[in-house]
Amino acid sequence: MKQLYIDIGSTYFKVCEAGNIEQHFRNFERNIFDDLRSKCGETIARYAPEAIQICSSANGGLSTLIIGRTYTFSLKYATNIAYNSGINIIDSVLYSKIEQHTPPLGMIDVVIIAGGIDDSANSYDMRLIDYLKKVRYHNIVYAGSAAAAEFMTTHIENVRVMQNIISDKLQLRDEALKNYLTHLYQEDIMGKEEIKSLYALTANHIYPTPYIVNQAMQRIPEYFPVVDPFILVDIGGATTDIHYSRDLIMDNLVSENPYDRLVFKKLGVYKSRENLVFTARNNEYVYELLAYLGVTENILDEKSDKATRILMQLSIFLVLYKVSLHHNRYVNLYLEKLNSIVLTGGITKVLSLEECEQIVGFFYKKLLHFHQIPTIIMDSDYMIWTMSMKESSHVG
Amino acid sequence: MMKVVTGVVGNDIHVVANRLIDISLQERGFEVFNLGVNTYLEEFIDAVIETDAKVLLISSLNGEAEGWCRDLSLLKSQYELEGVVFMIGGNLSVGEDNPDVIIPKFKRYGFDLVFHQSDLGIGLDTLEAYLKEHV
Ligand code: B12
Repeated sequence: MKQLYIDIGSTYFKVCEAGNIEQHFRNFERNIFDDLRSKCGETIARYAPEAIQICSSANGGLSTLIIGRTYTFSLKYATNIAYNSGINIIDSVLYSKIEQHTPPLGMIDVVIIAGGIDDSANSYDMRLIDYLKKVRYHNIVYAGSAAAAEFMTTHIENVRVMQNIISDKLQLRDEALKNYLTHLYQEDIMGKEEIKSLYALTANHIYPTPYIVNQAMQRIPEYFPVVDPFILVDIGGATTDIHYSRDLIMDNLVSENPYDRLVFKKLGVYKSRENLVFTARNNEYVYELLAYLGVTENILDEKSDKATRILMQLSIFLVLYKVSLHHNRYVNLYLEKLNSIVLTGGITKVLSLEECEQIVGFFYKKLLHFHQIPTIIMDSDYMIWTMSMKESSHVG
Repeated sequence: MMKVVTGVVGNDIHVVANRLIDISLQERGFEVFNLGVNTYLEEFIDAVIETDAKVLLISSLNGEAEGWCRDLSLLKSQYELEGVVFMIGGNLSVGEDNPDVIIPKFKRYGFDLVFHQSDLGIGLDTLEAYLKEHV
């Protein structure tokens, strides 16, 4: 059966039919469903709902609040699972500091509570319950010590208790929570009416785009000349996703997943442009970098094409900066070991390979004192996304 | 079973003692959480919290223990760790050999039991006696 693949992004739609990709900027005046139908209605009408595969990263994905007992285990494990499930984290709280923590203002899609191996009694108390009263959320799950499950069900309404993400040997156990999080997207309880309406078009599950891509990472070397360890950087309109080989990190987290995902919520060039500019201005290398690119600081206030290109280059730089040593609490990548960087997403349509090499070159020379840079591969035709969709439709 | 978190602190890759400690503790009836070599102090503390262990037994062989363990009392003040026994042993210094100088120093950092270049068996006997008395 011929398949039609559709990706709903924060900034544009992509539709792939028999290997040809059409791309449309989204019209935010209309809801997703009507917008999609007005632009690709004819194409869609030619396919049965069973042959239509949709994935989405619209609305920035799900928002999460993670409450855990330590940075090394519960918070790190839950964060890892959430990212790999396609979630864009909002916030995390270390339980010992919960009384000082200001609860997030907006509505949270899912609160995740973790901590402790199953027989650890050292657990949560009423401080948790008091804090939760100040948080607005749709869903709440408990994936911590079995010893505290009863406390949770007694005090938290509608809490869903699932398998502990920390095994008795202190290792990561991700199946149950990962399953739950990827399915949240598909459940009505989400309350994201816009996404829900898309089920009128397809008989298949709608997965988060980053989850689909992460699942297909292992096959990328079959399609592109990449050499492990590599990273995939997807700079979109609202967020920037990075999928990286676990060979690039050294930490206690033992997982079966050879590639993990990390997301920076506010480094996109369209929807989160202001934040990107703000982050750039506060970076210690920014002036040197702008001079190296032959422009002045004023470019950051412009709205021209040239300004967009510079911002895209800056976002590549900032992503590398943020994942390199000592700039990130959650994970540090040993970029010295990196062999290839694959770039995908909107930027590959705008920047040339030379412009990408220029900026990566600056990073490697200036920050790592390297003369050679990893090979850069541009996924300009969204091959990775198409391949990921194909893979997931076989499995699903 | 009483739970013990163990491992080798800092950038220290001497692994032989770590394996012996793991086995000896198990033989003595402890449940062991071995974080292995190259473990930071924060990771040890975090493992104690998640497992609810009653003993943290750190080894250091390459002589860098002081730099890696100085912050123990600070960390102890940030978390609820009452009743946990903190123990360290191995080669705790490079230049200084005098246990009368080394041991009080590590006690000041917040360790309850300190062993410099001493036999593992004696160290573990002492731990068991200490646990009988204090826990
Ligand atoms: C083998 C070895 C190595 C191997 C390690 C291989 C491996 N992966 O394990 C290699 C070659 C890699 C190595 C490297 C280095 N090593 Co080395 N190494 C040794 C050596 C020869 C034997 C260690 C060993 O395995 N012993 C057998 C085990 C069973 O004994 P143990 O480690 O002493 O542990 C016993 C006790 O200490 C005690 N114990 C240990 N922990 C605890 C904890 C408690 C609570 C208690 C009660 C007891 C206890 O119980 C154990 C069993 O009895 C010793 C010298 C020696 N003869 O001891 C040097 C030695 C440990 N290394 C030393 C040094 C300096 C280094 C290097 C810094 C050298 C360098 N300049 O590069 C690097 C460090 C690398 C790093 N990042 O850590 C010094 C340490 C100096 C000091 N602290 O005073 C030693 C003592 C050599 C020396 N005399 O100078 N080393």
